[in-house]
Amino acid sequence: MNGLLDPLPWLILLPLAWASLAFLLGPGRGGRLALAGLAGQLALALWLARRLIEGGPVSHAVGGWGAPLGIDLYADGLSAVMLLLTQAVALPLAFYARAYFAQGAGQFWPLAGFLLAAMNALFLAADLFNLYVTLELLGLAAVGLVALGGGAEPSRAALRYLVVSLAASGAYLLGVALIYGSYGTVAIAPLTPLIAAQAPLAVGLAAGLMLLGLVAKSALFPFHFWLPPAHGGAPAPVSALLSALVVKAAFYLILRLWLGPFAPLTADWGWLPALAGAGAILWGSWQALRTPRLKQLVAWSTVAQLGYLFLIFPLFGLKEPALQAGTLQAVAHGLAKAAMFAAAGILLKATGRDAVDGLAGVAGRLPLTLFAFGLAGVTLMGLPPSAGFLAKWLLIDAALEQGLWPLVAIVLAGGLLAAAYVFRVLRQAFLLAPEAQQFHPVPRRLEWAAFGLAAASVLLGLRGVELMALLGIGVAP
Amino acid sequence: MNLLLDGLLVLALLWSAWRALASPDLARAVVLFIVFGLLMALAWARLNAPDIALAEAAIGAGLTGALLLDALGRLQPGTGAPAPESPAQPPANRAGRRWTGSVALVAGLLAAALAYALFQLPAPTVRLPEQVAANMAASGVDHPVTAVLLNFRGYDTLLEVAVLLIALIGLLTLGPAAGRPAAPGPANPLLKALARLLVPLMILSAGYLLWAGAHRPGGAFQAGALLAAAAVLLHLAQLLPAWASPGRLLRLGLAGGFLIFLGVAAALLAEGALLTYPPAQAGGLILLIEAGLTVSLGLILAGLFLLFAGAEERP
Repeated sequence: MNGLLDPLPWLILLPLAWASLAFLLGPGRGGRLALAGLAGQLALALWLARRLIEGGPVSHAVGGWGAPLGIDLYADGLSAVMLLLTQAVALPLAFYARAYFAQGAGQFWPLAGFLLAAMNALFLAADLFNLYVTLELLGLAAVGLVALGGGAEPSRAALRYLVVSLAASGAYLLGVALIYGSYGTVAIAPLTPLIAAQAPLAVGLAAGLMLLGLVAKSALFPFHFWLPPAHGGAPAPVSALLSALVVKAAFYLILRLWLGPFAPLTADWGWLPALAGAGAILWGSWQALRTPRLKQLVAWSTVAQLGYLFLIFPLFGLKEPALQAGTLQAVAHGLAKAAMFAAAGILLKATGRDAVDGLAGVAGRLPLTLFAFGLAGVTLMGLPPSAGFLAKWLLIDAALEQGLWPLVAIVLAGGLLAAAYVFRVLRQAFLLAPEAQQFHPVPRRLEWAAFGLAAASVLLGLRGVELMALLGIGVAP
Repeated sequence: MNLLLDGLLVLALLWSAWRALASPDLARAVVLFIVFGLLMALAWARLNAPDIALAEAAIGAGLTGALLLDALGRLQPGTGAPAPESPAQPPANRAGRRWTGSVALVAGLLAAALAYALFQLPAPTVRLPEQVAANMAASGVDHPVTAVLLNFRGYDTLLEVAVLLIALIGLLTLGPAAGRPAAPGPANPLLKALARLLVPLMILSAGYLLWAGAHRPGGAFQAGALLAAAAVLLHLAQLLPAWASPGRLLRLGLAGGFLIFLGVAAALLAEGALLTYPPAQAGGLILLIEAGLTVSLGLILAGLFLLFAGAEERP
């Protein structure tokens, strides 16, 4: 087979290429290159999805060796959905970023390119150590992007993020070492039956350490403390990338390990992530209701929305509906949160300050942006016909079927709280502007990018069936 | 005899790690950290892993130690011995002590569990070293570590190089530190003479390490670390100025090794898959990649030290 015609390696090579070329071009350059590359990546992801629909899961043996000597890339329905989400969020955000960084993007393009390459590599990895390398690349690129804000506060947030990220990677790596010591391989496919057959204490420790590290990276309550300053303090395109995509990568990996190699060890522990998820929904929403700053509000809303992802873990008695609910929530939140941070960035640029009570009057000045914010809010609240509604519906359905009614109560309470913090913003926006209020003009392209993402998050609900069919490819019942 | 030596090594490792963490004096902690790195290198050598030993000594002890000393110089006014009123002493409040205590407890429990678990490890089911040995002939090199790093698991190494590049880009994002750069003092003439003598030898050794990587411990990472050490030495002797924002040529040098690696990886897709070396050309291609990486990794590692180093004074 000719490897040149395989979308798997190109999904990793293409962003690596434009990221390093953007670095060569110099600070602030490379935006156009990135747009071209991202368009290509979206086409590759669609091509991969088509291939999966036609012929089932695909793999690619790097170096021609094959696991366990070499490293394999592997894509099933879950990887394809995450890859599609990543490229579909990144492309409009690249348009947005080009208009946003009118005064110079610094190292934004190289960092964003390496970040996306790391995400794609992570979704295609089938090797525990290779996954560690992608996590490192992802974490360092994300930290660099947070520091892009300049100044003392973003630098402090970036350093805190760096320390958490490195400690989490360290825990993950220790787990990988223990697994290699126990079985002599780190490739997931041969490991899965080995762990099912015999798991010594070291493997239990390894599973605990790796999952704990990933939970810290995905900012699940109570490990969420690094997220609001990092996501709230970064420039808007960065906040959008990080909140929509990066935290999902860690979640994806938890899901993979939980349902894959560690399934024999984790079966009885599903209540633990769900408990933390419930805490995240309540605490995150409460903080979003209280914070005086707009971007902090959106960042706390991420903490809350991530909680839903972890509510599915006790529901894996019926694997497919739970997996569908979790993935759909990840996709819906990804699109909606990118839109919401993009809209928040526009409101910040227009009003000149990051404050919820400084928004009075924007409804008249920036109706499109406010509409985008509202639509994204509809998805976060879980109102029909949005993808968020579909996700929460599936979650409630699965919970009722298995008699876990406390989960239903949490989902409903979370929806009400989300409505409360979204309306907190909308209410301010519809107030009359004070006389002294000045509005800075913002490029229309910024508004359209935010609107496009928000509309996608709502309309995706109408395409849920196709998405679920793709997700189902390669999932063992 | 060996058992005694290993026991002493373990005790010394534990002692230096504990002292580095517990010492209230940051300068002493850094020195102990370097000692720890060197002892760790010895431990790797005792474990028959000379490649890791070389990397640990060069990067773990050498370069990281130099970076820590440099950071220390910026934290403390003046040079040389730390002032007694320096912010090195953490406030000994009760919350801090309780925090340290709980971290120590968790770490201790984890260490005990690890030690217990390691004594009941089963024999590995998959025997990778045998597979590596069986495929050495097709790998293009004679040294198994190089074969794993550049061929069998070359894709990991490609991404690892990207990690190093991104670390440097992150540093560029942070920009120059806000600290006050001190006025440059007169360079130590002895250091200057030493640098003039040593640096050519170091570059020669880097070339040797690169070449040797094909059949014995060595390779691009160790050679690059040596080049970086040479650059740091030149900078300390004030023969090489600090870097401001890197220009086009320097950017090419920093990213060039990665781009060569990426280009080779992509071109080899025509052979069937990413990084599928044809056995006949494998040796030459690996040497090409390693040569590019040596230069770029040397520049990147040196850049961690030289970038925005300003006109600071070195004792």
